[in-house]
Amino acid sequence: MASRLAVLLPACAAFVVRAAVAASIEAQVQDAAGKPVADAVVYATPASGPQEARTAKAVDVAQADREFVPYVSVIQTGTSVAFPNRDPMQHHVYSFSPAKSFEIKLYTGRSPGEVRFDKPGVVTLGCNIHDWMIAYILVVSTPYFARTDEQGRAQLRDLPAGAYELRAWHPGQRKAAAPSAVVLEAQAHQPAAYVIDVAPRKPRYKPPLDRLKY
Amino acid sequence: MAVRSLRARIAIFFLVLLVLVQGIAAILVARANAQVARETIDLTLAQGERIFQRLLAQNQARLEQGASILSADFAFRQAVATGSTGTILSVLRNHGGRLGASAMMLISLDRVVRADTQDESRAGKPFAFPRLIDEAANQGTATAVVVLGSRPYQLVIVPVLAPEPIAWVGLAFEVNDDFAREMRNLTGLEVSFLSRPAPGAAWTLHASTLEAASRNALPAALPPEGFAGRTSELDVAGVAYQSRETDLRTATGAPLAAVLQRPLAEGLLPFKRIDDIFFGLAITSLVAFALGSLVIARGITGPVQRLAEGAKRVQQGDYSHPVEVEQRDEIGELAVSFNHMLDGIKSREAEILRLAYEDGLTALPNRAMFHVQLEQAILTARRAGEPLTVMLLDLDRFKAINDTLGHPVGDQVLREVALRVRSVLRESDIVSRLGGDEFAVLLASGDSERAPQVAAKVLKALEKRIVIDGQSMDLGASIGLATFPQHGEDGAALVRAADVAMYVAKRNMGSVATYDPGHDERRREHLTMLGELRSAVENDELVLHYQPKMTLATMKVGAVEALVRWDHPVRGFVPPGEFIPFAEQTGYISAITYWVLRRAVKQCGEWHRKGLQLRVSVNISARDLRSGESLVLAITEALRAEEVPASLLCLEITESGLMDDPASAQATLRRIRDLGVAMSIDDYGTGYSSLAYIKQLPVNELKIDRTFVSGMEVDGRNAAIVRSTIELGHNLGLLVVAEGVETDHELVELKRFGCDVAQGYRFARPMPSGGLEAWLARN
Repeated sequence: MASRLAVLLPACAAFVVRAAVAASIEAQVQDAAGKPVADAVVYATPASGPQEARTAKAVDVAQADREFVPYVSVIQTGTSVAFPNRDPMQHHVYSFSPAKSFEIKLYTGRSPGEVRFDKPGVVTLGCNIHDWMIAYILVVSTPYFARTDEQGRAQLRDLPAGAYELRAWHPGQRKAAAPSAVVLEAQAHQPAAYVIDVAPRKPRYKPPLDRLKY
Repeated sequence: MAVRSLRARIAIFFLVLLVLVQGIAAILVARANAQVARETIDLTLAQGERIFQRLLAQNQARLEQGASILSADFAFRQAVATGSTGTILSVLRNHGGRLGASAMMLISLDRVVRADTQDESRAGKPFAFPRLIDEAANQGTATAVVVLGSRPYQLVIVPVLAPEPIAWVGLAFEVNDDFAREMRNLTGLEVSFLSRPAPGAAWTLHASTLEAASRNALPAALPPEGFAGRTSELDVAGVAYQSRETDLRTATGAPLAAVLQRPLAEGLLPFKRIDDIFFGLAITSLVAFALGSLVIARGITGPVQRLAEGAKRVQQGDYSHPVEVEQRDEIGELAVSFNHMLDGIKSREAEILRLAYEDGLTALPNRAMFHVQLEQAILTARRAGEPLTVMLLDLDRFKAINDTLGHPVGDQVLREVALRVRSVLRESDIVSRLGGDEFAVLLASGDSERAPQVAAKVLKALEKRIVIDGQSMDLGASIGLATFPQHGEDGAALVRAADVAMYVAKRNMGSVATYDPGHDERRREHLTMLGELRSAVENDELVLHYQPKMTLATMKVGAVEALVRWDHPVRGFVPPGEFIPFAEQTGYISAITYWVLRRAVKQCGEWHRKGLQLRVSVNISARDLRSGESLVLAITEALRAEEVPASLLCLEITESGLMDDPASAQATLRRIRDLGVAMSIDDYGTGYSSLAYIKQLPVNELKIDRTFVSGMEVDGRNAAIVRSTIELGHNLGLLVVAEGVETDHELVELKRFGCDVAQGYRFARPMPSGGLEAWLARN
């Protein structure tokens, strides 16, 4: 179980987070070699059950320089995502993922419409005319989530005290990491560390612009 | 069989040489060509193989590219990602059709077949070639040859990206005859695809550009161990192919090979043309060479053959055709020399023939020619039924002419005789000189009546005195005649008969004798006599009688003559005249002489020992005299054995005997006289000896022939001869003896003429020794 994806909680055995007004989780994700892993998502789902987004604040997944930006996004279910096109050429954003299948046919500038993600799960984004373009949106049923930075760090803030199921995910992961249960106390500052076996991101051939004829 | 003809040998030698050279050249060229051809094909094949592999790679790249584009198609991806199985199948078929794929399949990320356009039952089962998926996951695409069902396919695996892989799609392109043909069009090689379940197992052919027969034979023709990477020559249904094997990459590792081939004959084709030209050239040069060498050989052997034929003609005696050779080369010179030689042989043979068949002295045909002509004449006579006569002629006294006047004179005499005989004969008669003084005449139409007349004419012609170098001489001849067919059936018999007749004529002094069978009777008697005479000598049938020789001055007997007598047991007393001439003819006389000599000397010795001093005379023949030394030895031996003084022996030699060979006779006589033996010339007056000759002889005594003595009474001329002979003898210092004294008158006359000794019946007949002793005692 802990072979590839080991949830490593330093005080795991007797680690109880006391419920307080707000707690936070400081997570560190690294790969098997000990290198920090960026673009990993760490999220905590309250034991009470999934939570729909309360606000309809839209999230952008833009296309710039013929790439999706950001590469990995994480949103709470019920969130709408806009796909603004900042490139001079058209893009055709699509997804065949079971969590959300959609397409926005050729367009430039602002996204013709926002797409609302209702189901939790991974949505893989592609562009029909730029095969190398890829991005991921992880849809989770919790508002407590964070994405690791270049140092592999992610901070989950303002978590009410209580029991949570803590998970980590990365698009290149070879196997889903097992969830861990945590009970957070108020004002607690909970560290967490993950080792995720991540396949290196395959470089996809991106033809230079001047040669782009399509 | 050895070839004897020079022409054939020359031609064969050069032909064999040329064939050898051409053959070796042809073999070398053919070898080099085949080598070059093979290397060329090898090169072509190796190039073809590289092209093939390149094509295969290109083809694969094309397929992969196509597959990639296909898998990137939005609608396709959408259908695959979201559609039902039915939708997926139809989109697979539809999009596969665009690329011309034979089959398409969709495989889930967990490697389970989700849809298969070829065989729907494969859906839900694990994908058969997971390694290809691994490869595609690493490299984006993967291609390998696989066998699906029983057919080979190029299977391309590409991911379905949305945009990351959501499934794998497989496109299968059948490796079939069309594909093989396409490969052939590009490589120029025959292309076949074969597979087998494992290395070493039997090959199965899947696709090929070969004809049906070769196609079926190919799997069996492939070596089981394979020959990847090298060129091999395969015999496929009787056609030789240079072949290369290229192993194709398969998904399972089961061997699948492409066999690239090129017929050897195709590679050899350009060299075949060279070979054909070479062969044509060889045949042409062979024919030209054969003709050329035949022409040259004919130029040499033709004249040589004519020379050989000419030589053969010469061998057969035909000298009339000289060899005709127009050439001016060595052979022409040879022919000219040959013709010169021919002329030489011709003239020499004519000369030899002339010498062989002609008598050189008289230019008459010789003995050999006479016999040839005689045989021919007999044949003619036999056919015509006509008689024919052979005449043999022998000159009398010719020897004396030769001896006294010399051979040159003798030769002239013979020439004269030839002319005279020839002149009295017809043209058709043949005259020939058989040798010596013997001539033969062939009277072609001579019957027994004409023959004696001709003989008489011949004798008459010879009677005329011959004068040569101022010397005149008389000739006589004896002629024997024998007539065909009564005297002989063939030439030899006729000549023998004529010979017998001639001797008869000679003996009878009759000049001409015709053959009489009685002559032969005589001959037979003679032959019998010879045998008897021999046994007489051996059996002492001969006896010696002695006749006293009376010294007229004292009328005393001082000597006796020993005379041989033959007391034949059947015939009784045989007179000496019957057997002495015969013994002389046959040569048996020597045996008799030596017998007489020994016996007489023995008797003389007996008398000497008794005190009876009698000189004994013994007759010696001409033949005895010729034996020379052996006679001298016999005398010496006899005298020594009986111890008789040599002076008591006297040898009597006839005058004609002395004339036979005067020179040698003289030498022998001297030897005998030196022994002390006395000698006497017998029968003096019958020969032709000259006084000059007599004078030289070492003799003591001269005996006047009895014919002169006994004729004295009736003919005064004989008395004159006796008288003058006595005087002559005395003048030469010789004792003169008269033989055959029978009457008192004769005795008186002889005494009157001064004759020294007399012998004859007047005193006594020859008597045996005992009788003589008694007679001496009485007188």
